[in-house]
Amino acid sequence: MYLELDRLSKQFDGKYAVHDLSLGLEEGGLLCILGSSGCGKTTTLNMIGGFLKPDGGRVLLDGQDITALPPERRPVSTVFQSYGLFPHMSVLQNVTYGLKFRGYSRAEAKEKGRRYLSLVGLAERENARIGELSGGQQQRVALARALIVEPKLCLLDEPLSNLDAALRVRMRGELKRLQRELGTTMVFVTHDQEEALILADSIAVMSEGELLQLGSAEEVFRHPANDYIASFLGLNDIVWKDDGSVLKVIRHGEKE
Amino acid sequence: MKSAGAIQKNTEKRASHDVLFSLCENAADKLILLVLLGSVLLFILWPIACIALRSLRGADGGVSFAMFGTVLRQCGESLRNSVFVGVFTAVLSTILSLSAALVCATARGWKKTLCMIIMLVAMVSPPFVSSLAYIQLYGRRGWITYRLLHLSLNPYNRWGVILMQSISFVPLNAMFLSGILEKLDEGSLRSARDLGASGGVILRDIVLPLIRPATLVCLLLSFVRSLADFGTPIIIGGRFSTLAADIYLQVVGYSDLEKSSAMNMFLLIPSIVFFFVYRALMRRSDRLTDASRTAQTELGLLLPHCGAMGWGMIALSTVFFVMIVLQYGCVFLSGFLKSTKGVYSFTLQYWDQLWRIGSSTMLRSVEYALIVSIAGTVFAMLFAYYMDRRRIIGRSLFDCLATLPYMLPGTCFGIGYILAFNHAPLKLTGTALIVLANMLFKQLPTSTKICTASLALLPEVQERSARDLGAGRLAVLRDVVFPALRPAFLSCFVYNFTSSMTTAGSIIFLIDAKRQLAVFKLFDAVYQGDYALASLIASVITVIVLLVEGLAFLITRKGENRRVSRT
Amino acid sequence: MKKLFSLLLCVVMVLSLVACGSKTDDTQTPDEPQDTAPELSGTMKVVATGDVYGPLFDAFTADTGVEVECLSMSSGEVLSKLRAEGGTPSADLWFGGGIDAFMSAKDDGLLEPVTFDAAAELGDEYKDTEGYWYSKGITIVGFLLNNSLMEELGLTAPESWDDLTDSQYEGEIVMSNPAVSGTNYAVVNALLQAKGDQGWDYFEALNSNIAYYGKRGSDPKNKVSSGEFAVGISYIDASIEQAAEENDLTIVYPSDGMPWVPEGVAVFKNAENVDAAKYFVEWLFSSDDHLRQLAEIEQKNGIKVIKPSIEGIELSYDPTLLMTEDLSLFGSQRTEILDRFEPLMGDKAAAE
Repeated sequence: MYLELDRLSKQFDGKYAVHDLSLGLEEGGLLCILGSSGCGKTTTLNMIGGFLKPDGGRVLLDGQDITALPPERRPVSTVFQSYGLFPHMSVLQNVTYGLKFRGYSRAEAKEKGRRYLSLVGLAERENARIGELSGGQQQRVALARALIVEPKLCLLDEPLSNLDAALRVRMRGELKRLQRELGTTMVFVTHDQEEALILADSIAVMSEGELLQLGSAEEVFRHPANDYIASFLGLNDIVWKDDGSVLKVIRHGEKE
Repeated sequence: MKSAGAIQKNTEKRASHDVLFSLCENAADKLILLVLLGSVLLFILWPIACIALRSLRGADGGVSFAMFGTVLRQCGESLRNSVFVGVFTAVLSTILSLSAALVCATARGWKKTLCMIIMLVAMVSPPFVSSLAYIQLYGRRGWITYRLLHLSLNPYNRWGVILMQSISFVPLNAMFLSGILEKLDEGSLRSARDLGASGGVILRDIVLPLIRPATLVCLLLSFVRSLADFGTPIIIGGRFSTLAADIYLQVVGYSDLEKSSAMNMFLLIPSIVFFFVYRALMRRSDRLTDASRTAQTELGLLLPHCGAMGWGMIALSTVFFVMIVLQYGCVFLSGFLKSTKGVYSFTLQYWDQLWRIGSSTMLRSVEYALIVSIAGTVFAMLFAYYMDRRRIIGRSLFDCLATLPYMLPGTCFGIGYILAFNHAPLKLTGTALIVLANMLFKQLPTSTKICTASLALLPEVQERSARDLGAGRLAVLRDVVFPALRPAFLSCFVYNFTSSMTTAGSIIFLIDAKRQLAVFKLFDAVYQGDYALASLIASVITVIVLLVEGLAFLITRKGENRRVSRT
Repeated sequence: MKKLFSLLLCVVMVLSLVACGSKTDDTQTPDEPQDTAPELSGTMKVVATGDVYGPLFDAFTADTGVEVECLSMSSGEVLSKLRAEGGTPSADLWFGGGIDAFMSAKDDGLLEPVTFDAAAELGDEYKDTEGYWYSKGITIVGFLLNNSLMEELGLTAPESWDDLTDSQYEGEIVMSNPAVSGTNYAVVNALLQAKGDQGWDYFEALNSNIAYYGKRGSDPKNKVSSGEFAVGISYIDASIEQAAEENDLTIVYPSDGMPWVPEGVAVFKNAENVDAAKYFVEWLFSSDDHLRQLAEIEQKNGIKVIKPSIEGIELSYDPTLLMTEDLSLFGSQRTEILDRFEPLMGDKAAAE
């Protein structure tokens, strides 16, 4: 396994936020951690990113134990829910910020930054201030900033939740495209079943700090392991393609 | 069975009641606004206008600008001195404040508690006494310089003034900066770390640039405060004098009101410029520290992991904290030590002198301070709200007016009050009201700033939704605005109480024999050279202030807990 | 919020009750007024140079039934406050402070004249010819030396004003700003009168030895007592004698004469209780008992100079050492002298 979580645990005030969590992900895969709020999914992400120290267990990435490394030394980058962009810097400065610590010359950094900006369709806005961007544009900047350092693993914490519905659908496709293009391994946290279903190669369903089910999107949706998962996923009709990916989701009440 | 008619009647009754209530509410709203603006005009603009008019009074009683020429000719040097001290004090104090605020924000556990306690004590800072302690510690016969290090230094110079001013401005500055630090977007710090930036780099690349406008504001605040401070240069300036000290001398030495008024006008001009720069900077600061983002209580950063700059800041703040502890220790000890031929012995004789001052004076001080801090806090909250959220004509004028008392040396604000309120129908001299009003309005600039900062955290949409749901203007104040200002209430209360207990300059001329205050006795003791008694009064004031603050803290926290547990 | 507010309000109210309660405790029931006292009532508000005069005012209250409230203020502050008040003073009686301030106040028309029979017994220089002010004592000026510091620096004790210009004292002498200290203003004015044309040369020379000019009248005494400076130009009274004992100081009465300044008493014009204040002046100067009580409180014996007929008070210094002063010049020359003196007091370091 490329990424391996080995019996991770974290307590807050004597209560388990994450309990004995073990799962694995292949290189280039996209894992969704799915669950309602308070299920421990963000805590898990923070432990992978190094922002929280686990009380027990290990995080292994590409065969290396990174549990003790601080965030700045992990080959992992994160796209935060609130993006965490630097409001005092321009778009390009934001995107190239991580390259400062990776031995890039200024010219190289600029060149690469422009490449990634055009990758997310923001080539014209490189000198804009963060405050001048729309929510979707900010999202793309955050994505480019995280991907430019070519992390071994990219973490995304509900990155689409601040966008409106139409934009969310578009960004979903773009995210999937980027991931395929760059081959980046990603862990994606969300509470939105549809998002998980459409984006993920594999889905981990969590509740109250425990892993309930891990499997491909098709497995999880077709054969929920228990009633809780079934009710959480809802009873949408899903039209599957032959390769196991989703052709169409039919909401209740919608006519086919 | 209840008839439909009864229900309808009931509804009608309630409806007419509501209409009446909202009518009253509208009238009350206008009334509050009127009272707020009226008070600012009466208690700030009018006294300052009286000073301005006085500066134009010629020798023959007519209008003359001659005094300005005289002042320009004579006060060039002290004006230069003021600017010199102001610049150095602003820089040094801002560096110290920044370090102290960062140390407080990033420290954990007992270290954090210790930092907070020292800051709280330092905030009390009774006037003059800290300067006296400075001489006692670092002077020619200083406990540290002479007895410990066997040095004989002359402390009476500009550097002494700069050092003392810088130190005494730190607590308020640090409080202001901490508020801004708490508003920093945690996501920015995290993503910087995530991208590979270590502590020191985050400090340099993210934290410092984000709080740059706030740092500039801090520089400005210190600069203006330094311009207006006369106590420090008078006690430790030696031959070195500043404009504020000269104004004080004009008042107590030459009793030349025309000249001192004209000198004040010179202090007002840079101050008004300051106000507009301040406003522009605050707007920029608000843009960088967006309130809607995840606010944090602890900075996710540890200074010891922040490289040389982090260690430098820790070292600076340590020096600062140690100096504060020494200073207050010295003040406290001086109240119990008696020097006989250079040998110190323990004595309680000053306690007896303290008792002669009487508990009634002390109690009156506490009483006045409580009244001012409660009334002042409510006034500041309302004023901040009406200025910030309601589009009133002449808003920036009133905003500017409410900042002016910050920039005038206290003595002059006091003289302005006598000039303004000694004649019918505005005869207030000799009453408690004039003292209370003077304290309240002298402190209004800072109180308003505290409340405005807190108000900025309240999204306007909350008020709109309350209005939308049927709440009137006053109900919005009660249900949305005041609860949101709860954190500001405590800091505003603490600031007002502390200042009311310790500000001497502005009320020296307003105090009535029947209603003396502890700080006046302190001023008198300093003036008579009774250091031990002064130290003792200062210690008692400090203890009282800390007790009351502790109490206020407990009460608000209890209220907070109850509120949270109820929801 | 509401609860907190009402709680704090309660605290305020309780405190005000306590404060009121203790206030009523302070008031004493007056003894029966003497027959000689006119019908007086109300409260007399006093501004004085210190807080120590309680017993004297208590005696006045006992005799007349007039309550006395006393506030401590320096004479410069009093004058500023008077001018700002513009003719409606907040106090009735002015008790103590250098006579130059009283002369200024008289010129500004801020004082009320008082006449009484016993005034005849006071020396002519110690009262205003029209009765606008009287002297309740005189303050004399001498040198205060810190013995251990003098020894450490190897300085010889100065004996006269001329000695002070000796370069060995460079940076070791403290005096107060004459604008703030009536006592040190007396030094300047008296020495200028005594030295005539050479007066200003003298102060230029003295200036190069002076460390700095204190902005409070008590600075020289304090700085010498704490050993920060060797020589102080200070008022001398019994409290200084005591401080000298405790801190190993030497008092020097300069051999070429001691400057001195009368301390004034006056009634404010348009004051609320003018009658009580006027009667107080008469009450004080007409009775040797009251004057003796005052001398005891102040620990000064200068009243002997003012009213030579008084019994039971002896001077602790030789009155012939007092310099000859034309007091009438104290008021009239003040502005001119201070204007000329001011540049001397500037920052020497900055001037270089």
